[in-house]
Amino acid sequence: MDIAQLGQYVVNGMMLGIIYAMVAVGFTLFFGVLDVIKFSHGDVLMLGAFTGYAVYLGLGALGIEASWLQLALVVIASVLAMAGVGALIARFVVLPLRGAPAFNTLLITLMTGMVLRECVRLFFPAGSNPKPFPRLLPDTQWAFDGFALRLDSVLLFAAGCAAIAGVHLLINHTRLGLAIRAVAQDSETARVMGIGFESIVLLTFALGSGLAALAGVMNGLYYNEINFGMGLLLAVIGFSAAIVGGLGSIYGAILGGFLFAALQTLGAVALPFGSAYKDVFAFAVVILIIAIKPTGLIAERSSERV
Amino acid sequence: MSAKIIDFASAATAASDGLVIEGIHTTYDRVDVLTGVSLRVLPGQITCILGANGAGKSTLIRSILGLTPAYRGRIRFNGEDITRLPTHRIVSRGIACIPEGRKVFAKLSVEENLRAGAYLEPSAREIAHRLEHVYAVFPRLAERAGQLAGTMSGGEQAMVSIGRGMMAAPQLLIIDEPSLGLSPLYVKENFAVIERLHSFGSTVLLVEQNVHQTLAIAHRGYVLAQGHVVAEGSARELADNPRVKEAYFG
Ligand SMILES: Nc1ncnc2c1ncn2[C@@H]1O[C@H](COP(=O)(O)OP(=O)(O)OP(=O)(O)O)[C@@H](O)[C@H]1O
Ligand SMILES: [Mg+2]
Repeated sequence: MDIAQLGQYVVNGMMLGIIYAMVAVGFTLFFGVLDVIKFSHGDVLMLGAFTGYAVYLGLGALGIEASWLQLALVVIASVLAMAGVGALIARFVVLPLRGAPAFNTLLITLMTGMVLRECVRLFFPAGSNPKPFPRLLPDTQWAFDGFALRLDSVLLFAAGCAAIAGVHLLINHTRLGLAIRAVAQDSETARVMGIGFESIVLLTFALGSGLAALAGVMNGLYYNEINFGMGLLLAVIGFSAAIVGGLGSIYGAILGGFLFAALQTLGAVALPFGSAYKDVFAFAVVILIIAIKPTGLIAERSSERV
Repeated sequence: MSAKIIDFASAATAASDGLVIEGIHTTYDRVDVLTGVSLRVLPGQITCILGANGAGKSTLIRSILGLTPAYRGRIRFNGEDITRLPTHRIVSRGIACIPEGRKVFAKLSVEENLRAGAYLEPSAREIAHRLEHVYAVFPRLAERAGQLAGTMSGGEQAMVSIGRGMMAAPQLLIIDEPSLGLSPLYVKENFAVIERLHSFGSTVLLVEQNVHQTLAIAHRGYVLAQGHVVAEGSARELADNPRVKEAYFG
């Protein structure tokens, strides 16, 4: 393999890593505040990407052509809409099940995700076909010895890092973050501090879902294609990443996301017919890691929960 | 119509009412733990609740805070019916609690625990001011500000819990067995701190097992046994009341 190809794998792996990490951070946030697995998370990501696409079509119909403006509005609309959807799911699906076994929440949110997925497939115009996601980022690229580094990849990666850093900052250095962590550790005592439990849960779900929407749009911008089923694999991978990193820890989620992407990339590079087996390889290694370290690489004990 | 007029009359004296509990019943899993408890916490006073293990003291506090709401009876604070408000709303009326078993946030730092206590205070300057005050009362907490509260010793965690209650600067501070499991030296210090909090203007409702030390600082007290009040009176009256002894040993 030559340098150019290797460079391409690395860039691709980094992009996957940041997207997985963003999804995994959501799982970790939800688990942190409420001890639940919200499996509709991947479909919220998909819905975010479709919302962004719909906004792009709408802007086109309105004659707004400036791509930076399109980009800004696509991102803002998608993130805000999914923050709302996340809060609604929390309010009407997850919170009413509080007190029921965690499996029920997992099952119901899995079904919620299925409903979202089917709604997009049935009600979005020609929803069962893949959609061409627009290129809204500058197409500048730098060539190194046959390997072309695209500016849009760099920008997307930076945006993902900034988003995760922003969430981390919010959780660890703001009043809202303090409330989220207090609720995560002991919701009853948090209430006694005057923290409104329900509003904090809704905000946390809004935060994680907004992050997923951004990941969905980034995914669309990077691959220039979205489809109604894209959330499913991303959810499974994001969830595995959160588990393998240590559910409940943001660092664990980031580590898990990049680890999974690295394994996939390694599988694609090193195995014969690699691209066909890369997922099998990555999941096999993840299963192995979980078998060896059941609490995840960054155990909750030694890390701060969310 | 006449009910309205009566409401008016009670509202007129409301602001200075303090906490008024009227015949509350509270239950866990259908077993009544409180059966018609009535009591009053007068503003500016230290009121104590005495009673043996399992008498229902902590349950009474949970009912005041809305954690286990009373299903019958009424709790008013400064004239407002708070019986069924959600906990964070009750707290926002100016009530804070130093809960049984300290309940520090183990994975938050000492300072974050204290800041959580002042969650409802919007002014950063006021919070900084209160932090300074807590650190003045407990210099140990200032030294350990960045340490995770869960790694502090039991006595230090008690300080965190008390400091966190102080950070709320509440009108009414409810304290549930702050001395439990502490060495006599810490217990003594705790009582000194409670007196000091009171002298800074908080009304205090105190649950304690150390009868003599409690009655020494309290103005009034109630004795709870099996879910109801069996004796009440000024601290001096209670000190001589045989029911107090009975409540613990009889
Ligand atoms: N969560 C609960 N579920 C069921 N029963 C409970 C619960 N909490 C307390 N109880 C019961 O209610 C009764 C009163 O308990 P409570 O904690 O109010 O007593 P207490 O006076 O605070 O005792 P102590 O001095 O030991 O703290 C006890 O019989 C206890 O077993
Ligand atoms: Mg108790």
